[in-house]
Amino acid sequence: MSHFSPWIDGSIVGLYLLITMAAGIYVRKYVGKVEDFLVAGREMDVFLGIASLAATEFGIVTCMYTAEAGYKYGFAGATPGLCQALAMLVIGLTGFCIKPLRDSGVLTIPELFERRFGPRVRWAAGLVIVLGGLLNMGVFLRIGGEFLVLVCGIGGDTFPLEWMMTILLVMVAVYTILGGMLSVLVTDFLQFVVMSVGLIAVTLLILVNVGWDKLAATVAEKHGPGGFNPFVHPELGWSYVVFQMLVTTAATLTWQTSIARVLASKDTATGQKVYSRTSFFFVCRFLIPGLWGIAALAFFAGHEPANALHAMPQYLAQFVPVGLMGLLIAAMLAADMSTDSSYMLTWASVIYNDLLAPWHRGRWSDKTGLRGIRLIVAAIGVFLLLYGLWYPMQGNVWDYLAVTGTIYLASISTLLIACCYWRAANDWGAIAAIITGAVIPTSFLVMQQLAVTQPFTKSIGPYYSGIAAYVAAVIAMISGSLLKNALRPSEPSLPLSEVSA
Amino acid sequence: MSLSERVWWLLTFGSVGWYLTVTIYVSVRGAFDIRHMLRRLDEQHSNTMVEKPQEPNA
Repeated sequence: MSHFSPWIDGSIVGLYLLITMAAGIYVRKYVGKVEDFLVAGREMDVFLGIASLAATEFGIVTCMYTAEAGYKYGFAGATPGLCQALAMLVIGLTGFCIKPLRDSGVLTIPELFERRFGPRVRWAAGLVIVLGGLLNMGVFLRIGGEFLVLVCGIGGDTFPLEWMMTILLVMVAVYTILGGMLSVLVTDFLQFVVMSVGLIAVTLLILVNVGWDKLAATVAEKHGPGGFNPFVHPELGWSYVVFQMLVTTAATLTWQTSIARVLASKDTATGQKVYSRTSFFFVCRFLIPGLWGIAALAFFAGHEPANALHAMPQYLAQFVPVGLMGLLIAAMLAADMSTDSSYMLTWASVIYNDLLAPWHRGRWSDKTGLRGIRLIVAAIGVFLLLYGLWYPMQGNVWDYLAVTGTIYLASISTLLIACCYWRAANDWGAIAAIITGAVIPTSFLVMQQLAVTQPFTKSIGPYYSGIAAYVAAVIAMISGSLLKNALRPSEPSLPLSEVSA
Repeated sequence: MSLSERVWWLLTFGSVGWYLTVTIYVSVRGAFDIRHMLRRLDEQHSNTMVEKPQEPNA
């Protein structure tokens, strides 16, 4: 039974939606060029960047998988947040890779690769980025819809999940298609405020009503010392921690939605500040919903729901009072809309800028270019709806996201580091790294779905296969580059850090 | 309270405190950033219109 009141909570949600949609559609009048649409004319300043990055990287899907991790592993489930915060702080302070990337003035990472490795590498890199990114995002709508249906206590025949998914998608697609990055930045800001107020209010309510002692005692009782330390948790261990460090560092360097904020910054120093000052948010991103998951574990003691992913929303439906429920749903809608809009725009920008580059060669007029990108955003929306309905999720959501993300994170992060800092790097190494980095996680995903190979994938687990993808991509980059240098010696091109210096 | 539990206690309450502070600060400063960004884009568009050569009348 949910505490959702259609009149009180529904009005709060309706008001939020009205303001967001109006703001998103209003700023479309400032979009005149492709650059305005994709990187907001590179006019983003630090605080808007922080709000936008935080809102983008926190969606309902984030809330669901971090709560699931808290429910299943206790506080140890928040380890990826600590890894990402550390990576973001170090990269933001040092400017490692992101400084030469922003200095180069490109719109996407593959565009940068073309300068060092040629057009074929740009195209191949664009392909794996889009493949990994779309597979990753494919589950967002379904999980977002599941959360809303469970928290509101609706669903079944009266309001099926598919309706909720479609409504979510259409709302986001309208303002993203019209205003691009400008609409995304402005709505992200509003969404950051609403989302943060909702997250903090619910967390304080849990801390006051349930209390720290009960939360810690529940973790100790259900998980033992492993609930506080991932190294000694029987289901996690060192392979989990190493994989999280690799994934989060690679994501900080190359995840297109994060990098888009660096590229949209008004200068390189601003981009670095956005990273370093948002870093601690990633601890909150994992820990706050993780706490909700732990509270659900305490609430359902002895009567745990069959699906761990649904424990947190089922708990909130019964715990959060009328009025605050409206704020919670508005906050979660805000989180989801900001994530979906940014992701749709980001993958559309790579498709237009890199995959379609051989056809338009930068010669399309701004009007034709804008029309093309808007069509791509709409096509991505249709894909998300179909994929969300069709794909059967196996295992944890976070593991799925980490594995699909690795399809491109392993190779693109290797390429980016080599492109910026390694003189001997060349296109042979780049292509070898892209293929190797994509084959391992893709094979794992396919084998996970086949009955014959399922026991094998279970015995390996997502962490070892993920680590293997990163190691293989590095080896392929080094060996491919050295092989070409040995067979066809030529003047090596300068790394980007030396060119921009 | 064990050492690891103390670390998580510190991180949890630190997260809530930090997030609350940042939300208030970024809400105010971010609004100014949006105003400046839209003003600069408006100026850019006005300049582009001025720089565009006039089409001769047929």
